[in-house]
Amino acid sequence: MGRILIVDDTMFMRTLLKNILFSGGHDIVGEAADGAEALARYRELKPDLVTMDVVMPNVNGIEALKAIKAADPSAKVIMCTAVGQEQMVKLAVKSGARGYIVKPFQAPKVLEEVKNVLSA
Amino acid sequence: MKSVPVKVEHEGKWVPTTMGIGEDRFRIDAPIEREIPYKSVVDLEGKKNQVVINAGAEGELVYRIASVEKVLTVLKKFIITQASAYRLNAFFMSPAIRGGVLIQDARWEKGAIAVMKTGIWFVSQETQVCIPLEDVTGIELTSREIQEKDLDVVKIDHLGENEVVTSFVLCPMTTLQVLYNFLKEATHDTEVSEEVDPLTGQVAMLVYSGMDSSAIENMLKLSHKDLDGIYERLLGMGFAEVLYVRKEVQLTAKGVRYISETVKSPMD
Repeated sequence: MGRILIVDDTMFMRTLLKNILFSGGHDIVGEAADGAEALARYRELKPDLVTMDVVMPNVNGIEALKAIKAADPSAKVIMCTAVGQEQMVKLAVKSGARGYIVKPFQAPKVLEEVKNVLSA
Repeated sequence: MKSVPVKVEHEGKWVPTTMGIGEDRFRIDAPIEREIPYKSVVDLEGKKNQVVINAGAEGELVYRIASVEKVLTVLKKFIITQASAYRLNAFFMSPAIRGGVLIQDARWEKGAIAVMKTGIWFVSQETQVCIPLEDVTGIELTSREIQEKDLDVVKIDHLGENEVVTSFVLCPMTTLQVLYNFLKEATHDTEVSEEVDPLTGQVAMLVYSGMDSSAIENMLKLSHKDLDGIYERLLGMGFAEVLYVRKEVQLTAKGVRYISETVKSPMD
């Protein structure tokens, strides 16, 4: 089970992910609502994994991913985006994302992906 | 025509018999005793170790056949490639997304697509995928980067084993447009025309994600009654179906007595 930081600009999605991950036995160590906050929280909390929304105000998810990977190359980040933005996958993978979740998502698959990334 | 053992449904019962699978037809032996040209097949449904074949001008001849996967795979391949259906050569990727998670090793397969009466079949050398039209939840004509080029594809969202699955079809634009139009028309009944208020939308999203009633109530700070009202709206719009009826109970005097006695210290 992992210590997870959830990054999403909508409280609804953060709460949903929190519930799903909590039901899978994970520890939600923190939340952030934009990319800049994500980097600060990552440095502070050193989570095992980050779920990162792509489209966010101020610093977007891709930029935040790059910043986190620059600060900690071993960081495990799963990107999370809406249907229709799958083209971001390549960019995210290039930038070091370990996994990709497309909204809307289903709990069992999210937990499976988190487990895969944590155990990789 | 080589004979293989199968079971067929006959007068409401599964009956063991043999079946011949030829180049242009198949034969079912007694008690059916019939040869069926593949080109007379108008519909094919695949369910685990069974197929349901509709043949005849109106699909009035229905054959339910059960056998091992190897036999059904060969039979389905002949039917899909020769049946009376809209067929096109295409590349497909199925599944590409499962439950919202991108399948990282998903790849394009070269094969054919057959659009039959109740479903779409993707067939390649290695794969046979059936998407029943009633399970299609979304069709979109979109583009996808393939070998560093943006190419037009049809994206099909569908239900599969309690998960939402996304598949892609790639072929020349003119054929793609025909496929897209056909699928839009065939799935017209499930198009959403209702206005959905934000709270009902959020509840629908949580149900989709697999949250149960208690989790939904907690997350959205809703009472039982409020959530039941929203469920009724979802049911009324055809967005949801009842899985089971939840019971809420309160203890009777007998129940309270049991609890009181259970918690009594042995010293009392």
